[in-house]
Amino acid sequence: MSHGLASRAGRISAQIGIVVAIFLFWEVAVQTGMANARVLPPPSLVLPRAVAMLGDPVVLYNLWITSAQVLLAFVLVAPIGIAIGLLLGESDYFGRAFKPFFFFLASVPKSVFLPVFILAFGIGFTQKVAFGMFQAIFVLVISAIAAAESVSSDFLKTARAYGASRRQLYLDIYLPAMLPVIVEGLRLGMIFNITGVLFAEMYVSRAGLGHLVSTWGMSFQMVNLFAGILLAAALSIAVNEALRWYENKVGAWRG
Amino acid sequence: MSMRTAGGNDDRSGWILLLKNPLVLRLACLGMILAFWEIAPRMGWVSPVMLAPLSATVISGVTDFGVFARNLGVTFGSLALALLIALGGGGAVGLLLGSVRPLRTTLLPIMSSIYAVPLVVVYPVFTAWAGIGVESKVLFGGLYGFFPMLLATAAGVRTVDGGYMVAARSMGATRFQMIRHIMLPAALPSIMSGVRIGSAMTAIGVVVAEMMAATAGIGFLITQNRTMFNTAEVYFGVFLVVVLAGTIDWAVSVIERRAGSSYPRKVRTL
Repeated sequence: MSHGLASRAGRISAQIGIVVAIFLFWEVAVQTGMANARVLPPPSLVLPRAVAMLGDPVVLYNLWITSAQVLLAFVLVAPIGIAIGLLLGESDYFGRAFKPFFFFLASVPKSVFLPVFILAFGIGFTQKVAFGMFQAIFVLVISAIAAAESVSSDFLKTARAYGASRRQLYLDIYLPAMLPVIVEGLRLGMIFNITGVLFAEMYVSRAGLGHLVSTWGMSFQMVNLFAGILLAAALSIAVNEALRWYENKVGAWRG
Repeated sequence: MSMRTAGGNDDRSGWILLLKNPLVLRLACLGMILAFWEIAPRMGWVSPVMLAPLSATVISGVTDFGVFARNLGVTFGSLALALLIALGGGGAVGLLLGSVRPLRTTLLPIMSSIYAVPLVVVYPVFTAWAGIGVESKVLFGGLYGFFPMLLATAAGVRTVDGGYMVAARSMGATRFQMIRHIMLPAALPSIMSGVRIGSAMTAIGVVVAEMMAATAGIGFLITQNRTMFNTAEVYFGVFLVVVLAGTIDWAVSVIERRAGSSYPRKVRTL
């Protein structure tokens, strides 16, 4: 941060330049015949198609299905995951009993469990939401445990010594200490959740962005396929950067 | 752990006292889950399509051992090649991006943004380009593990104390010597965590690719059994993948210990 605004602006314009250069190289490679336009459509076709998709009712409907699944899974799993994590982090007894359990499950590859979710919930909306929650819950629990353990006992002692009320302790010590760690967990959980829902849609489904992408791939509609990938990438990068911005904001006091 | 007294060593021993020990609670819950797994489908509490009894799952694995072993072999082959791409490629690019300042400040943030993209959506491109054979699994698995390896290596190289570099350069070290004797040892813990996460992601990538479109492999076997509602085989396949991931993690930790011992443990500051 010490480099100042000028170098920050320079860095961002350099990054934009790199992204533009990649697209230019891609275009030139196709136009000069280095790459086959049939398997790698040029950005001059893909980018307009991606923009046009945002006005296409079929794409918008499927995008809405995916967003609804992701959001519902997130809204359901966030309080559950954080509550479990805080319980395990604050209570010595439950922590000792179940922390290893969650640390182990967090390291287990969760994508392979998708067929089990199909056997249990079918191939509809519920299954996608349940699978999204399953993908996200472990990282949420782990980060909430870390958040509970990140509250500095020195800060607590000092605040108590100066006669802080219970309310003040929660609002001024616990919350600012825990929030950045929890928001980081929410961000990672959201990425896993999006990945899980898209994967579930690509695997077996009747609707959703993942379903569209998978269908386009199988029917060799390469321009649609690349445009769909760009949309999915842009949306998840936007979600990730927004949560990262919030994470940095609430964590700014840590320096 | 060793400080805890084992509940039930006096005459007041009972369930309540026993449950005061967190370890007992954990084992009790684990036992209950396993018991539920066995009993619930047998009693008809859950449909046998949803959950096959534990014993049926194990039996299906034993009777179909040959099929599972053959497909696991295919997965291992794809995985080995994919690891080469993910760890070799990701490590090399990470080393480059982490050590060259202009690249680090411009390209690295782009790489960490790409890491947030759900890469599953790219898989149809791989099947369109390389077919549904082994090639698309190798490429997709390699891509899946590439970014975590790259980011961890770059982060490790970045934390190398600049003082060492200045000292080495002033004593006339070549670029290769600086990488070999300063950057790699100092970045080793971070690189190894990249190897750990990268290998796990590569394995997931290969299995996920096999699940979506393939003709062989453990992921293919799981999907095939799911479409035929062979619930016990599905559970056994999932179990095998979990074991596979656990084995990889264990192997990496063994290498980590070996590699760590060949360099001085504590890096002293100049």
